[in-house]
Amino acid sequence: MTDSSVSQPNFFEVKKGLFSWIFSLDHKRIGLLYLYSVGSFFLVGAALGVLMRLELFNPGADLIEAKTYNQVFTLHGVIMIFLFIIPSIPAVFGNFFLPIMLGTDDVAFPRLNLLSWWLYVLGALFALSTLVFGDGPADTGWTFYAPYSVKTGTNVSMSVLAAFILGFSSILTGLNFIVTIHRLRAPGMGFNQMPLFAWALYATSWIQLLATPIIGITLLMIVAERMLGIGLFDPSIGGDPILYQHLFWIYSHPAVYIMALPAMGIVSEIIPTFAQRTIFGYKAIAYSSLAIAFVGYFVWGHHMFTSGMSGPAAYIFSILTFFVAIPTSIKVFNWLATMYKGSINVQVPLLYAVAFIFNFLIGGLTGLVVGALAADVHLHDTYFVVGHFHYVMFGGTGFAFFGALHYWYPKIWGKMYNKLIANIAFAILFIGFNTLYFPMLILGIKGMPRRYYDYLPEFHTLNQISTVGSWILIIGLLLMIFNLFKGYFSKQKAPANPWNGITLEWQTQSPPTLYNFDKAPELVEGGPYNYPNAMKG
Amino acid sequence: MSNNKLTTDHHDDAPHITSYVEHFGTWISLILLTFMTVFISVFGADLNTLTVATALFIASVKALVVAYYFMHLKYDPKLYKIMMLVVMALFMVFLIMLTIDYLTR
Repeated sequence: MTDSSVSQPNFFEVKKGLFSWIFSLDHKRIGLLYLYSVGSFFLVGAALGVLMRLELFNPGADLIEAKTYNQVFTLHGVIMIFLFIIPSIPAVFGNFFLPIMLGTDDVAFPRLNLLSWWLYVLGALFALSTLVFGDGPADTGWTFYAPYSVKTGTNVSMSVLAAFILGFSSILTGLNFIVTIHRLRAPGMGFNQMPLFAWALYATSWIQLLATPIIGITLLMIVAERMLGIGLFDPSIGGDPILYQHLFWIYSHPAVYIMALPAMGIVSEIIPTFAQRTIFGYKAIAYSSLAIAFVGYFVWGHHMFTSGMSGPAAYIFSILTFFVAIPTSIKVFNWLATMYKGSINVQVPLLYAVAFIFNFLIGGLTGLVVGALAADVHLHDTYFVVGHFHYVMFGGTGFAFFGALHYWYPKIWGKMYNKLIANIAFAILFIGFNTLYFPMLILGIKGMPRRYYDYLPEFHTLNQISTVGSWILIIGLLLMIFNLFKGYFSKQKAPANPWNGITLEWQTQSPPTLYNFDKAPELVEGGPYNYPNAMKG
Repeated sequence: MSNNKLTTDHHDDAPHITSYVEHFGTWISLILLTFMTVFISVFGADLNTLTVATALFIASVKALVVAYYFMHLKYDPKLYKIMMLVVMALFMVFLIMLTIDYLTR
């Protein structure tokens, strides 16, 4: 373990000033630009979520009226999906750590990388502009379902153009990572010597590259339909609304794996580090990422069981959906097997990783419930789906994102947060999260529909519990953010390798130098997680 | 920002110069295929539902010609050709599954 007090200037120190950041080609700075951007939008999205929960504390219109509520949940969805979850782990931690973990000095196309961030900013501006132009933000939900999205007077065109631009940002990041992984691995690092985070990003990047163009063209079709009345999706002029749903979900279901796979990669990094042992089933975890990406392409129809899709198509999509559970379970069993009888060092990142497994299991299993044709007919468009989705996205990807933030925090900034406060914040977050979202699963089974500002009196108590959960969650969130800021401003430096990790990012100083390594990094013999050998060495 | 000491660059593509004949021939074939698409669309009413399938087939051939000659897939390693085929297969699956819904609705 080396100390961080080395002589080389780190990437923060080589240049100063705003322009050195917003026009930087350094993958680490671009990763941090993404972190500050997606972090800000996450807080905006979370505030909108709390506003919805406050409205739902009592039945009836207390704070906002129906139309505003529709606009709030749409903006919440657009911000959280397109501006936070999709870019979160790949664009932040992928950008920062992929080149370092591969033992190289940058991504394959640094300028394209910067363009990707600028496109993200442009897309974000388009999304936010809906607040001030026209009749306000879209009120369609983040899915922009036709024909309503074609007919509504709210600012749908700007919203879908925002998603279109953000799609390009996502494609460019995916392209960059694929080429980086193929061509810039350190000498001697074959695909099977890559860290599992790189494998997860590789699978994710292929989805970004292949699926995102479909949503791009579909969203342009919505704009064309609104402006020119072509008759693609609006049945009153000869269109087919189910065609829109097919095209939308051909992208948006694989997009769920754009959100989930990098999170699984994070968990695959954290667990062996804190269990201090070789990960169980390296190849099974690596290839299951590809399997999830592949099978994930063929299950989009399970979002449309009640939309008027044909019976035979629904059977096929339901059966295919169950296949996704296999590679996902492979990962979970391998993570548990890695921890079994390991010499576990319980630290905050590990807590987030274990919470990921717990939450993701609930999210995954409830996913199987709605993937089953007969059950979905009852549960479709109820709060069960909202609960399921948030368990996967927030309980899964969100917690993995927080875990990664705590895991790589000392590497990125060379400082350490207060571990006690971090533990307390984690506990509050975990309790708040489950108090907020578990009642939604019950509400859904009882039949409460989603996307309404009002509800029947019988749903009152569970809605109140859920809203109280949102307050607890926000307290945990604010405490976590406060603690991370406090750590940043503390004078105490973190060691270069505080967790005894053996992947390549732990071989360089904290924060890393501009070109990441002063000398070529040494690969660990026997694979990236070969802890026994590393300890002997 | 490249530091070759730390990276492995597998770039082993041999330089190649495409002849004017090949460029021109590719262009002519694309024009002919475009005319064929228009011809089938305007005059090929007898094909009925096959009109769309035929147009899609011709468009796929045109895309392959562009990828193979103009985008130099012809000179690329086998892996790239396989990747291209995988993408096309994926697209075919999308179309097949959409068709299953439409034909059985």
